[in-house]
Amino acid sequence: MDDRLESDALTRPVEGAAEATASEGATSPAVGRDEWVARHGERVVRRSGRIGAAEQRLRAVPWWAWLVLFTALVSLLPVVFESGYVRRVSFDIVLYMLLALGLNVVVGWGGLLDLGYVAFYGVGAYGYAALASDQFDVHLPSYLAIPIVVVIGAIAGLLVGLPSWRLVGDYLAIVTLFFFQAFIVFVSNSDDVSGHDLFGGASGISTVDPLNAFGRELPVAHLGIFSVAYLYVALAVFVVVYVALHLVNDSRTGRAWRSSREDPLAANLMGMPVNWLKLMAFMFGAATAALTGSLFASLNGGVYPTTFAFPLLITIYTMVILGGAGRQAGVVLGAIVVGVLLETLRDANDAQYVFYALVLLGLVGTLRLSRRLAAVLVGVAVLGYAIHLVAGAIDSAWVDGTSPGGGWLGDALTHWTVVPTEPAGWIKPVSYVGLVASVLLLTLVRDRLRIVLLVPVLVLASFVWENVMLPDPSSTRYVVLGAILIATMIARPAGLLGERRVEIV
Amino acid sequence: MRKTKSFPLFAAAVAATALAATVSATPAAAKSTRATAGISCSKTLDIGMLAPLTGAAGFLGQEQLSWAKLAAKRLGPQLGLKVQLVAGDQQLDNALAASLVQKYLADQSVMAVLGPATSGAAIATTDTLFAAKMASVNMSATNTTLTKGADKKGSPAFFRVVPDDSVQGPTDARYMVNELKAKKVVLVDVREPYTVGLANSTQATLRKLGATTIRESVSIDQSDFSSLVTKIPGDTDVVFFPTQQPAKAQTFAQQLIEQGKKAVVFSSDGAVSQDNFNVPGSYVSNFAGPVDQYKYNAPVIAAWKKDNPGDTLGPFGPPTYGAAQVALNAIKRACVKAKNGSITRNQVLQQVSKVRIKNWILGGSFRFSTKTHDPLNAKFTIFQIQKDGSYKVVN
Amino acid sequence: MDTFIQLTVNGLTLGSVYALIALGYTMVYGILKLLNFAHGDVFMVGAFIGFGMLQLLGGPSDPVFSIYLVLVLVTLSAMAGCAMLGVAIERFAYRPLRDAPRIAPLISALGVSFFLAYSMQLMFGAQFRDYDTFAMANGDLFFKGIDIGNVKISLIRIIVIVAAFVLMLVLWLLVTRTKTGKAMRATSIDREAAAMMGIDIDRVIVFAFVLGSALAGAAGVMFALRAPVSVTVGFLAGLKGFTAAVIGGIGSIPGAMAGGLLLGFAEAYTQGYITTRWSDLVVFAILIGFMLFRPQGLFGKPDIQKV
Repeated sequence: MDDRLESDALTRPVEGAAEATASEGATSPAVGRDEWVARHGERVVRRSGRIGAAEQRLRAVPWWAWLVLFTALVSLLPVVFESGYVRRVSFDIVLYMLLALGLNVVVGWGGLLDLGYVAFYGVGAYGYAALASDQFDVHLPSYLAIPIVVVIGAIAGLLVGLPSWRLVGDYLAIVTLFFFQAFIVFVSNSDDVSGHDLFGGASGISTVDPLNAFGRELPVAHLGIFSVAYLYVALAVFVVVYVALHLVNDSRTGRAWRSSREDPLAANLMGMPVNWLKLMAFMFGAATAALTGSLFASLNGGVYPTTFAFPLLITIYTMVILGGAGRQAGVVLGAIVVGVLLETLRDANDAQYVFYALVLLGLVGTLRLSRRLAAVLVGVAVLGYAIHLVAGAIDSAWVDGTSPGGGWLGDALTHWTVVPTEPAGWIKPVSYVGLVASVLLLTLVRDRLRIVLLVPVLVLASFVWENVMLPDPSSTRYVVLGAILIATMIARPAGLLGERRVEIV
Repeated sequence: MRKTKSFPLFAAAVAATALAATVSATPAAAKSTRATAGISCSKTLDIGMLAPLTGAAGFLGQEQLSWAKLAAKRLGPQLGLKVQLVAGDQQLDNALAASLVQKYLADQSVMAVLGPATSGAAIATTDTLFAAKMASVNMSATNTTLTKGADKKGSPAFFRVVPDDSVQGPTDARYMVNELKAKKVVLVDVREPYTVGLANSTQATLRKLGATTIRESVSIDQSDFSSLVTKIPGDTDVVFFPTQQPAKAQTFAQQLIEQGKKAVVFSSDGAVSQDNFNVPGSYVSNFAGPVDQYKYNAPVIAAWKKDNPGDTLGPFGPPTYGAAQVALNAIKRACVKAKNGSITRNQVLQQVSKVRIKNWILGGSFRFSTKTHDPLNAKFTIFQIQKDGSYKVVN
Repeated sequence: MDTFIQLTVNGLTLGSVYALIALGYTMVYGILKLLNFAHGDVFMVGAFIGFGMLQLLGGPSDPVFSIYLVLVLVTLSAMAGCAMLGVAIERFAYRPLRDAPRIAPLISALGVSFFLAYSMQLMFGAQFRDYDTFAMANGDLFFKGIDIGNVKISLIRIIVIVAAFVLMLVLWLLVTRTKTGKAMRATSIDREAAAMMGIDIDRVIVFAFVLGSALAGAAGVMFALRAPVSVTVGFLAGLKGFTAAVIGGIGSIPGAMAGGLLLGFAEAYTQGYITTRWSDLVVFAILIGFMLFRPQGLFGKPDIQKV
């Protein structure tokens, strides 16, 4: 430490700054000297050693190279996996990525909390349905319908964003939330607007045309199996949108967004049209969502009000926050991680692996490959086995149940996990609440005590997982999403790919 | 707290994603190479199920799921088959249903599908299922256009074990006018396809029979109907309120009494539940009586109660059991006829319409109509709720 | 005329419940400037706790004590349970983010709301639960009551309205007459100044959450007495309570009460006289109108930002 103090204090990181950055908690700004910050603009905490060097080299790779690589990988997916399911899920995830990119513009770049984002998605889908279905007997070809829908989306964004002109952040959240609710109510009741059937009401519109151009249609499925063409179209749209948004962010507008996000008052005083910038962010986001909506409608051949619901909004938010709001690569990664996670959590068998893999990953991530990790793992194995033995000895019905998750992992764990044959009604709530309480307790204790308490908590977690969460994967998915959202905001608000920024206090 | 470590976390996230993706995709990839070969009857066969397991209609799907699981557990061994149920949560989202259908199509051991539970999802997925020759036996989608009419939306792969709205509506309407002597009827729907379809069908018949009808709608989330009740004219005879939540029918009936209106509530099959809808004087129509009135159902009901302690018998479960029974019987028939002990989906599909079941869980015996993929001679039974809350057949 | 009276009573019943929820939102916003999206789900948890307690005390038709005592116990237990829940939420989901940019605790609140609702579904399932008030005291709660002309006001409505007003009065007294209440008001005006005056900000915030969540719990029980509840009920109820708080002027306690009642009346009259299908839209339109033309609500003060 001492030699650092002796050298030029202005060009070296201030002593303790790295620790201060790390120790202050992920959400408070770090203290730095003016000169140091001014000279280095957006300073990023860098790691040392081999990983740091690797990180450096990865950072040097241009953004478009990543994009090309990513696109190539995704294009190969349908070649490797023939099943229609993988193609359909890939398409869904590409749509999620598009939605995440759009939300990133509003939340990440504009700094606005837009709770009505999914309504723009709906506007796009219903707009496309209005222009290319039997509903009004208008059948525009896709190369006309889609641009019109994008413009409609942008106009909708303009109209909804207008109230933000006078209102502060929270009020915008309220207004957008209510726009969302109003949209749902309107669309669900739209089959009888003063006697006219506008949008099919609760039954939606089920006669939407597939993508078509110059008289030729792109078939959605072949023998029931989802066709690859739609995946490639979606991927192409994704690349175009990614590049376009990247260029916008690199331009004056992007820089203006950044400054008005950091300090709107200062930006305003510097002459930037802050309100107009907010509106632009809104419009870009809405247009992207509308574009995605049209792809969605054409693939599904129909639009229904129930798709555009609150859980979808939270899902996209989780993707953006987890990935790192403000970074396009981040939100794309977030979309993929959350999308795949949700798919695996559909099915008890797949979910089984995910849970234990994630727990293991988390342990390795926090404890590193150390003696402490080994101690915890051994402790968990021993404790779990002991409890299983004791419980089985008291009453075999306590451990003879079958876990809903199968596969080799399920079989391997039968002698370790405690799965009662007929759990009493109070077991579920008590064990679940107990788990949540003990996890929260873990965050309050430190060091040694935390490691020691980790062992019984992990055993309890596996019990709750097998008996409460696995039998009901559909509720578990959303519980996990909510937990990810909270944990990310508290422990790592910059998300996976975000970078901690240093600010002057 | 901790130092930032974006790179290892990034790598970890990518690794986890790759792992998860591989895990869920690999079984499907491995199986797809046997695309048309057929699957041996001695292996474990799967039945897919699509129902809303979370969200506003989650209670419905969960009930259906519990009975479907029971059917797989009991009937599989009875028929000499190894059967597993794979259930998917379609919520109320038809796009999700389409996605799930792809999943089951890719899984070669899925030989038939139960549902999708909602009419909208059934309409959205029926063509895909038929294109892949996968039979879908439906237990709750009652939209008439799925099997009948000039604008028939259901494909030849769609089968239904419960009668549709075009039977229930007129039956209810005729009872209201002829037996209850109703002259003024208020119909209330909750802005979703089931209730809207049923209300439309009932209103049409009521009008033909000369009754005055008033139509109201409430949002699907609403459970306090006080103001709507206030609005209902004092001389209304019947309030027709189809719903999938017995508790709401109960609340509506109670609030009518509270505000001194003489109208009685007439609800539909979704509200059948002696525990949750038991306001004396109300009516409810169902495609079957309460299943515990049939003695031969006793073991099934006992088994269900054992697996689901504390839950009450509802209207959506038993038809699901029946649908599973039909699907399993179709599979069994295909296995019996199969040349080398292996069957394809198409073979199962061909057998569905030929299935006959004695001691049908919903009463009587079951077979499909020769003209449509609906149950033959399906009728609706109308019940009046007695002073002690029990249901008495009145038609 | 009868319809008008009946609708007014409906509005009063609805509005009292909305007012109780709105009070929780407004108190937390006043101090933390945070819109606690999870509040609606706390309301839902209160309804469920009440349900559990009711079953424990013998159920609606065969209670262990007199039904009125049981109702009081049920409400108190819901209030206590929700207060603890509210404190836990504040401690673990909001306190770490107190100095973060405004958007962070809002997003955390969204996560908490989602987490709560679906955790309840994991534990208790998706079906609707009914307190079965009809069966209580042999239907007395529905059949007995006061008559105004031709209009019958049932006992249960009277109980709900009176209880809500009593709770609001108690809150008003707590906030205006006690030291902690004064500290709360001081903190909501200027947090840093209050801290410099020696007020323990953490305790004040916890106090606000305790009060707000307890009221939400009581609202949950009152709501469930009249309509069936499921885990999805929290979202819409929260939204309406939220609207009420904003209409009344977010940050102002009398405003929340007024906003809640106003919203209740608006909903009742719209449904009774105009339309039941679009009544939600009408409510939203009222809110948007307020946002555009009087964002500080009925009783709030215009937000002047000091540079």
